[in-house]
Amino acid sequence: MWGIFLESVVIFKNYIGWHENHFLAGLYIFALLYLWLTEKDKAKRAVFVYVPTLLLLMFFCPLFRKVFVRIMEDSETYYRLLWLLQMSIVSAYAMIRLMGKHRRIGLAVVCLIIAACGDYVYDSEHISRAENAYHLPQEAVDIVDMIEPEEGRITVLVPADLIYYIRQYSTDIELPYGREMLIERWDYYHAMYEAMEKAEVIDTPVFVELTRSYPCAYVVLKEDRKIAEPLTDYGFSVYGKVGEFVIYEDMTLQ
Amino acid sequence: MTAMISLLFWLAIIPFCIGLIPANFISPERRSPGLVILSGYFVIWAGFELAAVPMVLWVEYDNFKAASAVFTVLTILGAAAGIWLLYRNGKAGRPGLVTGKMRSGSKEESDTHVGQISGLKVRMTAFGKWLLHAAGIEWLLFFILLGFQLYKAVAFASFDGDDAYYVVESLIAQEAGVMYRILPLTGGSTGLDIRHALAVFPMWVAFVSVRAGVHATIVSHVVMPLVLIPLTYLLYDQIGCALFTKASSRPVFLIMMALFQIFGNVSIYTTETFFLTRTWQGKAVAGSLVIPAVLWLFLLLCGGEKKKNEDRRGLWILFVCVQMTAGICSSIAVFLVSVLTAITAFVLAFVRRDLKLPVKFGAACIPNMVYIAVYVFMAYSYLL
Repeated sequence: MWGIFLESVVIFKNYIGWHENHFLAGLYIFALLYLWLTEKDKAKRAVFVYVPTLLLLMFFCPLFRKVFVRIMEDSETYYRLLWLLQMSIVSAYAMIRLMGKHRRIGLAVVCLIIAACGDYVYDSEHISRAENAYHLPQEAVDIVDMIEPEEGRITVLVPADLIYYIRQYSTDIELPYGREMLIERWDYYHAMYEAMEKAEVIDTPVFVELTRSYPCAYVVLKEDRKIAEPLTDYGFSVYGKVGEFVIYEDMTLQ
Repeated sequence: MTAMISLLFWLAIIPFCIGLIPANFISPERRSPGLVILSGYFVIWAGFELAAVPMVLWVEYDNFKAASAVFTVLTILGAAAGIWLLYRNGKAGRPGLVTGKMRSGSKEESDTHVGQISGLKVRMTAFGKWLLHAAGIEWLLFFILLGFQLYKAVAFASFDGDDAYYVVESLIAQEAGVMYRILPLTGGSTGLDIRHALAVFPMWVAFVSVRAGVHATIVSHVVMPLVLIPLTYLLYDQIGCALFTKASSRPVFLIMMALFQIFGNVSIYTTETFFLTRTWQGKAVAGSLVIPAVLWLFLLLCGGEKKKNEDRRGLWILFVCVQMTAGICSSIAVFLVSVLTAITAFVLAFVRRDLKLPVKFGAACIPNMVYIAVYVFMAYSYLL
């Protein structure tokens, strides 16, 4: 039980970003304490004080965590229980009460505190200027435009960089493996993935045999991907090039 | 152009018309255009759950096409019912369903009013006073922050690995007409993955895409943020109305909420991060819209003393619809919202010495109980 409790503590710390010196949760705890002391309205006190406190107690309760994991068959989403606290709403409500009549100066101070304690979302490494209306990398769009069949579906082998995007643009392209192989903690095994991504140098005969077992109409490789023997020696031809990606067509499937 | 008109029809006109139904059963002083459109969306999503989930479970081929047909009929009927209620209400001379106000006075009154404020100088002075002494600057600041978020949502792409599942599910439904029968990650056929199959939010995105004739990925990444971000702030404004008596506190609350969203990326797990980096996913809607909506309705249904003849039936309809919306967002959201409802109802019952409250809120959760029963049955049916 102690171990489960400590796990919940770690999940909480990760959620509030304590280890990265983000202290918005401190503002929330302050707001909660302030409302504990000052809120008189019964309904608001129940919704913004008693319920969050009970939810926090539940979150750290090992028995509840056991029940949650058993029911949902998933321990990775336990942090979502903290969504019920609605930290922003409670904090904003408490801050406005605390400001009283000093609306503008209070707002300026709170805005500064939020900016100082939080983290600017648009600085995220996952956010970049959109290259097209699909919000997908243009290279993925261009590759699919080149190889997409007019009718039916084809299987295509693409590098890990493109796995996420190809089928967001066209579901007529099928893949031997998908995003599930890129998440290390899921620890799946897939022979084609091993041959394509894990091998330092692609073992061409084994690789070609695997691609033909699907069969993959096209193989997309990065220009600098090391390969023991050129694919062109094994019945493939270079179909085109998009950015750093070279598209090979399997001529034996014609 | 046709796509724009279709999007406007399905994402603004239809929700607005349907929102008139619950508004008709809410007391006039609580009505506002924001409430109508929010209500419309919650009713629509609840209706989509009713149309889509049975098709997912029991129809194997072309189940998306069948669900779309049923949902189209339901929404058109709902919108027609809303317009009819608006017409009937206006004819009977009751307070308006949209604003809650009586119709404006005679022509003479209007002319006098115009006369009083006519002249550019007078208008500019009034605007200046509002800007400086009322909450004008705060409203302006809030709309700048909202515009900034919308600009970022359209001009910048946010990478999220889960899109390889959810966005592709929408695209499969649009292109192949089936729901949850094709593996989104690779394209192979599959059996029902019950954990995701009941959460049909990506199918609603697909429905919008099909009706507008726009690629589902564009709808997910561009159109949805343009709809869901303002919708969420509409909800926050409603929460502000429920919390503060002073009108000037509303924009202050909204500015703080906007800043919390923009600077809330303290980890990848927060509702704020989900809200602005994966707005189009059901779980983001659950965290930013559905859970706050539950709190909002608790405040409206249990806050203050109920006035004589106050009509709260519309709020109860909304409460049920919000609970059902959790179901289309994610199966975990159903569990979370049920936990929140149960705890809040019992705490309020204790605080207000009203033991009927848990029974009333429990009854409003019946759709979620059915959802959980279906989930458990489908998930563990292999044991039977």
